[in-house]
Amino acid sequence: MATATQEFIRNLHELPHTVKDAWFRLGKAPESEREESQATFHNLFLHIHSVRVHVRTLSPTLTFGLGLMAAGTFLITVITGLLLMVYYKPSTDLAYQSIKDIHFTVYTGRFIRNIHRWAAQLMVLTVLLHMARVFFTGSYKKPREFNWLVGLGLLVMTLALSFTGYLLPWDQLAYWAITIGSNIANSPRELTDAIGVTRWMDPGGFQKRLLLGANYVGQDALIRFYVLHVFLLPLALVTLLGVHFWRIRKDGGLARPEDPMGGPAEWGGARRAVFEPIATKTYGLMALVKGKRPTVNRGPENTVMSWPHLFWAELAVFMVTVATTLVLSFYWDAPLKELANPAIPENPAKAPWYFLGIQELVSYSAFTGGLLIPVIVVVGLALIPFLDRKTGGEGTWFGTPGEGSVFRSSLLFAVLVTVGMLVFTVNFGWLRSWFPDIHQLWIIIFNPGSLLVLIFAAWSLIVLKRRDSVRLAAVSLFTCFVVGFTILTYFATVHRGPNWHFYWWPSQWPVH
Amino acid sequence: MLLGASILTIVYLVGAAVHENYGAQWSGVQHQYREILREKAKDDRGRELLAKFRIELKQVSLPALGTVDRCVTCHNGIDDPRMTDVALPHRVHPEGILDIHPVDRFGCTVCHHGQGPATTFRDAKADDAYWDYPLLPPEMTEATCATCHDAEKLPSAQVPLLLTGMRLYQEKSCGSCHKLNGRGGALGPVLDSEGAKTRHQFTMSNLQPPHTIWRWQEAHFRDPGAVMAGSQMRNPTVTRQEALALTVYMLSLWKRDVPESYLAPDKIEQKYRSLHPAPLSGEQIYGQYCAACHGNGTYSRWDKTFKRFIPAIRGVSLISTATPEYLASNIQHGRPGTQMPAWDQHAGGLLPEEITAVIKYLRADAPAAEKLPALTLAGDSTRGLALFLRNCAGCHGMDGRGGIAPEIGNPVFQKAATDEFIVRTVRSGRQGTAMPAFQSPDAPALSDQDVADVLAYVRTFGQPKREKALAQNLAPASGGKP
Amino acid sequence: MSRLDPPRVSRRSFLSIASLGSFFAAVGTAAAGLFRLPNPAVLPGPVRRFKLGSPEQFASGSETAFADENLVLFRDDEGFYAISTTCTHLGCVVARSKQGFACPCHGSRFDDRGKVVGGPAPRPLPWLEVSRAADGQIVINADNEVPAGTRYRV
Repeated sequence: MATATQEFIRNLHELPHTVKDAWFRLGKAPESEREESQATFHNLFLHIHSVRVHVRTLSPTLTFGLGLMAAGTFLITVITGLLLMVYYKPSTDLAYQSIKDIHFTVYTGRFIRNIHRWAAQLMVLTVLLHMARVFFTGSYKKPREFNWLVGLGLLVMTLALSFTGYLLPWDQLAYWAITIGSNIANSPRELTDAIGVTRWMDPGGFQKRLLLGANYVGQDALIRFYVLHVFLLPLALVTLLGVHFWRIRKDGGLARPEDPMGGPAEWGGARRAVFEPIATKTYGLMALVKGKRPTVNRGPENTVMSWPHLFWAELAVFMVTVATTLVLSFYWDAPLKELANPAIPENPAKAPWYFLGIQELVSYSAFTGGLLIPVIVVVGLALIPFLDRKTGGEGTWFGTPGEGSVFRSSLLFAVLVTVGMLVFTVNFGWLRSWFPDIHQLWIIIFNPGSLLVLIFAAWSLIVLKRRDSVRLAAVSLFTCFVVGFTILTYFATVHRGPNWHFYWWPSQWPVH
Repeated sequence: MLLGASILTIVYLVGAAVHENYGAQWSGVQHQYREILREKAKDDRGRELLAKFRIELKQVSLPALGTVDRCVTCHNGIDDPRMTDVALPHRVHPEGILDIHPVDRFGCTVCHHGQGPATTFRDAKADDAYWDYPLLPPEMTEATCATCHDAEKLPSAQVPLLLTGMRLYQEKSCGSCHKLNGRGGALGPVLDSEGAKTRHQFTMSNLQPPHTIWRWQEAHFRDPGAVMAGSQMRNPTVTRQEALALTVYMLSLWKRDVPESYLAPDKIEQKYRSLHPAPLSGEQIYGQYCAACHGNGTYSRWDKTFKRFIPAIRGVSLISTATPEYLASNIQHGRPGTQMPAWDQHAGGLLPEEITAVIKYLRADAPAAEKLPALTLAGDSTRGLALFLRNCAGCHGMDGRGGIAPEIGNPVFQKAATDEFIVRTVRSGRQGTAMPAFQSPDAPALSDQDVADVLAYVRTFGQPKREKALAQNLAPASGGKP
Repeated sequence: MSRLDPPRVSRRSFLSIASLGSFFAAVGTAAAGLFRLPNPAVLPGPVRRFKLGSPEQFASGSETAFADENLVLFRDDEGFYAISTTCTHLGCVVARSKQGFACPCHGSRFDDRGKVVGGPAPRPLPWLEVSRAADGQIVINADNEVPAGTRYRV
């Protein structure tokens, strides 16, 4: 019998092993499928994944990994953002200097700041592309409607995060972009002024004061935006992200094309686990998942273990995202203009690129372009899964018959209409150019933005009637929206110069 | 794909680390400086300085001035008197300025401007970057002396261009159109903060790059119309060197908020003086505030830019007939609607005693004012209208609004001029100008009654109803009552 | 073998080890770089180096108080030394007294060399680093302390 002292010394000796065994319960790389499922299931960070995934969902051309890229860019912004918080000071006197210090003196400061900015831009881009992917593969259909709504919430949060972060450097770019943004929040004024009720009802002013904490962009606005940007919005986004991932599992995994009836798919090395009944083993029910075919004594068809297949794919997508961000950050600095100066407006004062489409519309009517149309768009997007209830064709690009042709024709139509509308307004102006005294209410109702919305809606109703399919109508409307957004964004970025005049190229902008 | 992406990531991470740590410009510069210190480490002090020198970022942080200057990261030898024979940036600061303005207390950018927080030379110069105050060219650095000093009390050898610029500003009579310290004309912009303006507050479209503030100023002084299309500024006709001096003066005009402990005592006195200026002499006032338009005052002229007539205010015939009250009224209230601004204390900033002095100066060479005979005849303005149209309207305008002759319909003129004054002018004309004498002995054109009638009509210009009718472009009914 | 233990899964291939290895290497490199960030590359805050004048201005045996810089500069036959006048108890400014220094706030007493002789102060008054600037002036670095008794020879 060993004495306590010997026992003590032996335990000290075996410290490395015992610590490792306590931490890694399996103790080695998983070798069997059971061990692989345990590696996924028993891990806090990994167990939000299902243990098995369908092979088709791993196909790059199905999802392009866009959702993961969006989440990856978010993770990158969180980490780099935390680092930036060590040096950034949210005071109007100190903010600009602190950014300059980060750029010039802090170890890795310039690089980290660039990464943060590029990752944020990529996040908005990937989120938008991800939404388009989900739409065109019909992956919002039952039972995934709620997840589509959660995704819309995530889109709004992403844009809000980007918008609140934009103010923090407190330079000319930031100050004037947020001045415009807060005045867009004030845009219901345009309507209440036009009908003369502002004295009693001023939702515009209310929104603006809520955002800015004052009537001007100043210290209070900076603090509010800072709190939103570093705490409230990330918290909300992480929560919604958790719900988003959870719902993927509960809705049966990523939407994928139907497996062909009958035998196993040859494609992608699909396997089918065979479970033979054993007398001594009882089964616990882990989850109820809605499916189409009951399979008895057979594992789910065409699935592979998450460990390692899914995790390889996720890791690869994440590293591609990281590498892209790093390459961009190495060569191109995040912009920083002069210290914010309320006396000297930027000309042109442009919002960040993803808001430029809205800014173009706002140049026609503040209320319609800044509030009404975005709300209509968001509500319209939210309604899609509830109006298009017919299942079938999920998980494939342009899955239902006729989608491809509707997509192409809507693309052409939207390009023609949008470009035509822009050409018309550039050359001939709009209502006030012809009727200088026209009441503002007419302009709120009839402006290029509202007309585009009406024309696109009419087009989709035509498709609805002629093709007799809600999905096809939805495809046509969504395509029109995407095209309109893209063209308006491009137009406002490239062709709008000082005083929001039309120019062919930025090189032609007058030297002021 | 994972492999490729990961390797790319590592490459760029390592690349960024190397670039930051070994590629930094300042690091190379400091290594060079250490070699210089090593060469100069001949005595105890030299060795001590070499031992204490560390390769690291250096800065001078001055919360009082709101600056953080990192220039000393590369300019390590700036206050080492031994560093006279080395290349820039290691060289010592010239002219012993740092003896009075140690870097630890003043930093660098308060005098030189530039982007203090920067750590590369290009970023510090900031002349094509997003920075409000790029590095001043060395010859213009004296402009910033005026931030803390009264330039006139400094040794003239230290601020030659600044003093020349100040002198030229007065000699060229810039105050005729521009206000400084509350004194000056109203035709041009106020210049008190000219030095605080940033690039974006200037119209650079007619300037070749680089678009810096000082290049704009120099070009503008040499040809205002070429730089600002449609400019009403007369060309001050200056040489290159004079344009440079004036530019330096413009750059110095910045009421920068510097803590009082940084101000030289004479600066505080200068600030007080600008609130309570000592009155200038009449000749000085005329030279600084009148000469740009009125020249030497003895002849009238047609101003091409304003398309208006500028009267001869020192002309003999005006001075001998105009009373001091008349002159004072015109100087104090100007002629609203023309380019003659008001000059009294609340407008142009001239003190009452200065206006008196200027009037004295105007009258200096003139014979004593004559006592003008009183009028005896009453005039009929309807007859006067016909006479006016025939004899006067061609120069003085249909409604007395002037043009190629003074604006006799101007309210200030109407209030200040006495009847006798008008009659005398009509009768005797104005020597040295185009105003003929309508009752000269050689060819009397108007009788006394005619003159009285014209006077009566001219007086209707000052009446309110007349003003309204004129505003509505209604021609007075011929024969009708005004 | 239970039906839950199908045959071993083998995944040994060079590519996967390399990818995984490079992934961890990338993460490690990033972490190494990131951990450096919180260490400030240049200390912020106003300058705490004071130039006090050329050595000839201070005779041997003299002491000169500099109120703005919170220190007293001494010179004796062995050289220069500077003692901070910030009390080590809670930071008040000590006054010169017959015996040395006395703090008006809580009664700490120090001798001529800053050693605590009474009162609540936990440690002696700091001796500050004295050196000479490039132009020969005596310069004090108030951020650096030196052991009591250190003299700077000129």
